[in-house]
Amino acid sequence: MTSSPPDGRIVVHELTKVFHGNVRAVDRLSFTVEPGSVTGFLGPNGAGKTTTLRMVLGLVHPTGGGATIGGRQYRQIPNPLTVVGASLESSSFHPARTARNHLRVQCIVAGLPERRADEVLDMVGLHDAARRKVRGYSLGMRQRLGLAAALLGDPWVLILDEPANGLDPDGIRWLRGLFRHLAGEGRTVLVSSHQLGEVQEVADRVVILDRGRLVSSGSIAELTAGTEVVRVRSPHTDRLAQVLTQAGIPAVADGPGVLQVRGSTPAHVGHLAFTAGVELHELAAQGFDLEDLFFSLTGSAYGGQHAAPPGADPRAFPPVGGAA
Amino acid sequence: MIRLVRAEFLKVRTTQTWFWLLLAAMAVSALFVIGPFAAGDVRTGSDLAQVFSAASTAYIVVFVLGALGVTGEIRHQTITATVLATPSRWAVVTGKMITYAVLGVAYALACLIVQLAIAVPWAAADGMSVRWGQDDIPRALGGVFLVLALFGIVGLGIGALLRNQMVAVPVGIIFLLVLQGIIAVIPKVKVVYPYLPGGAVDSILPIRTGRGFDVHLLPFAGGVIVLLLWAFVPAVLGAAVTLNRDIT
Ligand SMILES: Nc1ncnc2c1ncn2[C@@H]1O[C@H](COP(=O)(O)OP(=O)(O)OP(=O)(O)O)[C@@H](O)[C@H]1O
Ligand SMILES: [Mg+2]
Repeated sequence: MTSSPPDGRIVVHELTKVFHGNVRAVDRLSFTVEPGSVTGFLGPNGAGKTTTLRMVLGLVHPTGGGATIGGRQYRQIPNPLTVVGASLESSSFHPARTARNHLRVQCIVAGLPERRADEVLDMVGLHDAARRKVRGYSLGMRQRLGLAAALLGDPWVLILDEPANGLDPDGIRWLRGLFRHLAGEGRTVLVSSHQLGEVQEVADRVVILDRGRLVSSGSIAELTAGTEVVRVRSPHTDRLAQVLTQAGIPAVADGPGVLQVRGSTPAHVGHLAFTAGVELHELAAQGFDLEDLFFSLTGSAYGGQHAAPPGADPRAFPPVGGAA
Repeated sequence: MIRLVRAEFLKVRTTQTWFWLLLAAMAVSALFVIGPFAAGDVRTGSDLAQVFSAASTAYIVVFVLGALGVTGEIRHQTITATVLATPSRWAVVTGKMITYAVLGVAYALACLIVQLAIAVPWAAADGMSVRWGQDDIPRALGGVFLVLALFGIVGLGIGALLRNQMVAVPVGIIFLLVLQGIIAVIPKVKVVYPYLPGGAVDSILPIRTGRGFDVHLLPFAGGVIVLLLWAFVPAVLGAAVTLNRDIT
């Protein structure tokens, strides 16, 4: 590689998109994506993730604001496939063309040797299907082909819309390793996802979007500082809650005989219980949960497992955001 | 630009559409030659020029090829990959125009081979002594190249403007095959016919106008200019307006 790696910082500034019919899909959105890290791009359905990524890639014209990659708009980047690799949610291929031929076309445009098509197909595990028409591909295979296309030009910036969609567990594990590896080389990896658990496994940073607006962005460590949850089980939860509240630590009941304590540590909670003489049956730090952070920030019902907000019809799908 | 044109050729080659359309173009050419010969209508070199001119009706097939070159990308959303690789819509359209003009010439060559392969032995068998350098025969044969090369671009432009494959292809075919012929015979309205693609083709090729057809065609050069406009105006408008739309 070159001695000084190219600048792969993505800067989104006041980006706005109003679609016909006054749908404010993206609303004065600003954030930065740092090289050398994996950034998760999160938001409920219709939050504007795909629209944002398409604007960053010059496919959709912003109504206002702009986005640059390494200081340049996508359209200004000479031979962009060798700088930015992208795979979009609805990236589609001609059904009658083979995967290999699709990639060969891109190789020719980008001035890459055609063997590069075979290399990336091997990387994503499509070696055996390379000469089959895309018509017969499964969802996961198309997703892999989209990834192969993104990796084709060995780009310094990867922008992927829901890349884990349709992938099997092996594929997801492979993808995770790939992201880590690429970020470790100093590349920029921006991945939108619905699967918060997946993102939590792999991302260093997150950008959270809701109804077109930025809700939060930063490193996961920063965002979750002070949000650790301690789970305590005790035959005397009332007394314990009182003790904790007096110490300025909020505690909420989580089922009979169980308390969830935020903003503290097991040691501190244990110490308070001990000095107050409250018997404990369990004391555990609960791993930070991106889902919890997400819900607390967007106030939106997101996944199936999460409890519905009070009064919500549990049979109904949560509404999609994004409407003006 | 050379890369873009090579990539466009690979796109065409890696689906089978070009093959079926080439067969269709060759079949059209063959029919337009076999018909008059079988009817005994071909007696002079000038008749032969008529036959070759009529066989250029294969331009409709080249139009479809060009229209599919744009609308297919929109339909299958391969336009996303195309524009990610080449963000300049102008470059994309220019690359396609060069490619489809060359394809039109290639189709013209295949059609001419078919026409000559049928006409030459048949004329000899009928005892005709054909002077190939005269009687407008060179103009008929050369005109086919020009017409087919430009109709590839006409198809691209109309495809870019109409976007929808299921609209552009049938509308184009019906207009070229049926509506133009009707316009040419309606009193008053027929004055526009020389400026339609078919009217331009009639000016370029040595076509003898038949009974009931009294439209005053443009001279050869005028026909070329009109067809050039039909090729480039929709393509440029399509690039400017349609291709600059959001790709979602
Ligand atoms: N071409 C379009 N025309 C009109 N509205 C659109 C268009 N594309 C997207 N929208 C609207 O913009 C909003 C954001 O959509 P977008 O696809 O960016 O959301 P998303 O975050 O990617 O959602 P998902 O998680 O479901 O993929 C939605 O309200 C959507 O209906
Ligand atoms: Mg999306």
